[in-house]
This record gives sequence, C-alpha cells and structure tokens, in this order.
Amino acid sequence: MIINHPLLGPRDAAEFVYLGDASLIDRPDWQSDTAADDFYEYQYLRDNPAGETRELWFHEQGDRSWLVVTRNTLTHEITKVELARDVALAAGRDR
Amino acid sequence: MPDLTLTASPPLDGYHKQFGDTALTEIGDQALVSIAVPLGGADALDSAMTGAYGTTFPAPGSTALSKDGSVRFLGLQPDQCFALFELAGNDPVEAIANVLGDTGYYTDQSDSWAMLRLSGPLAVSALERICPLGLAPAAFPQGSVARTAMEHLGVIILCENEDSYVLMSARSSAPSFLHAVETSVENVS
Repeated sequence: MIINHPLLGPRDAAEFVYLGDASLIDRPDWQSDTAADDFYEYQYLRDNPAGETRELWFHEQGDRSWLVVTRNTLTHEITKVELARDVALAAGRDR
Repeated sequence: MPDLTLTASPPLDGYHKQFGDTALTEIGDQALVSIAVPLGGADALDSAMTGAYGTTFPAPGSTALSKDGSVRFLGLQPDQCFALFELAGNDPVEAIANVLGDTGYYTDQSDSWAMLRLSGPLAVSALERICPLGLAPAAFPQGSVARTAMEHLGVIILCENEDSYVLMSARSSAPSFLHAVETSVENVS
C-alpha cells in the first residue's frame, strides 16, 4: 500500500504506523458535566464502517508527521491524505 | 587530579572499503545538531537564519547551504531541521546557539548517528536494492534529503550528487546498518 504524503509524495505504508480512528483528534472537554460519558465514548465506541473511513497514521520512519488518511475499507482505495495538524487547525484547535 | 583526555571512537571504527571505483566510507568529522522551531516562532527563526547564514529554513525533503558553505541544513520534517557541519571542539550546540541565539531549540545529535558515504558508479544500483525511495535524479536530485527505512533501520539519505550519497543511521545499530549496505554493494559488484 502506498500513502501519498502531502509534503513528501508517495511513501510505502511500511514507513507508517496506524493509530486509530481520526475522531481521536477530538478529545472531549474534561471539565464538561458529561465528561465521564464523553470520555467513555471517545475511548471505546467506534463505528466499523464498510466503506469510507478516516484514520490517523504516523510517519514514524519519515518526517514524524501525523496524517489523517481517508480510506475505503471495501476497495482499499485511499482518496485523501491530510496533515493531522491542518485538520485540527481547521476544526478550531489552537495547535 | 590527573589530567585525562578522552579520545572519541567513531561508531564504525573509521570504516573504509573500496569496491572497484565505488567507495564506502565512514564520515567521522561531522557534527549534527537538530534545530526545532518554538511554537509560533517560525518567522523569528527564519529571519535569524537568513541574517546569519543567508538561507531560509529548509522545507522537508530539501537542504539549504549557508552562504559560506560551512553548514548544510537538512529539512527533515515540518518545524525541524538538522544542521550538518564540520565538528570542532566538544560542544556543537554552542556553535549553532552562538549564532541563532534563542530563536530555536537545539539538540546535539552528533554522537547518535553513524554516517556513511557511498560514492561511485555502483552507488545507485546498490542503494536501489535496499532504499524504498526512487533515486532517479528527476525524483531525488542533488541536495535532496529524506528520512526512510532500509532493512528495517531508520535512515536519513542525502544526495550529494548523482553517484554520491550520505547515509545516516542510529549509532546503536550501526554495525547492522553497515552490514546491510556493504552486502548490497557486494551483491552488485
């Protein structure tokens, strides 16, 4: 599998490690009244889609960047690769 | 107290071997210092580098040479680069920090990496068996740098010219890395 890195171009998947669903970026607010439930959901509840899914990958044997990879679990096609930093900033995080 | 002087020993004992016109040589006289950008400090570091070295912070995959040619900056990842220069004295960080001040975060990496230079007509054919990246001049021209893995070992590869490459790998696994490169050169000799 080849992951088309947004800065470095196509790189072999062997250079990357997989973390999990991209929703891990959205860490809940620990001060919220519903924090316990929010963290339970954040930590344990995952969809298991047959189709498009967004995942976090780490370019360990490369530039050490975190990526959000949009991948289809039925066809293995990778449709989009973004820097996780850009995704987080776009979602309103400060860094 | 007796005056003791410690002698540094290179990770690969100063290895050098010729394979016809192709040479595999350990580089032992270079210092390596990582420069990291403080949060929100990219512009300050960039202008400090431009003022002192006449070059801007390199993008990942590219290198920049200081205007006097003494320091090569390797762009390895967003917000971090490595400075490669001739080792003088025992404190390479000081050499960079004296110039750039507190505009960046510096870490001495010199002793953590084993460096090899593979140069000669067999360099590309030896590397293409172990390096997952395409090394054709169009894709990886002179002055390119990349971090990748060869034989499962993390490697920084720097293209000096079409048949000369600098390879850096972790000191702790340096003999295994040398074995991988040496075997590959032998296999194409």
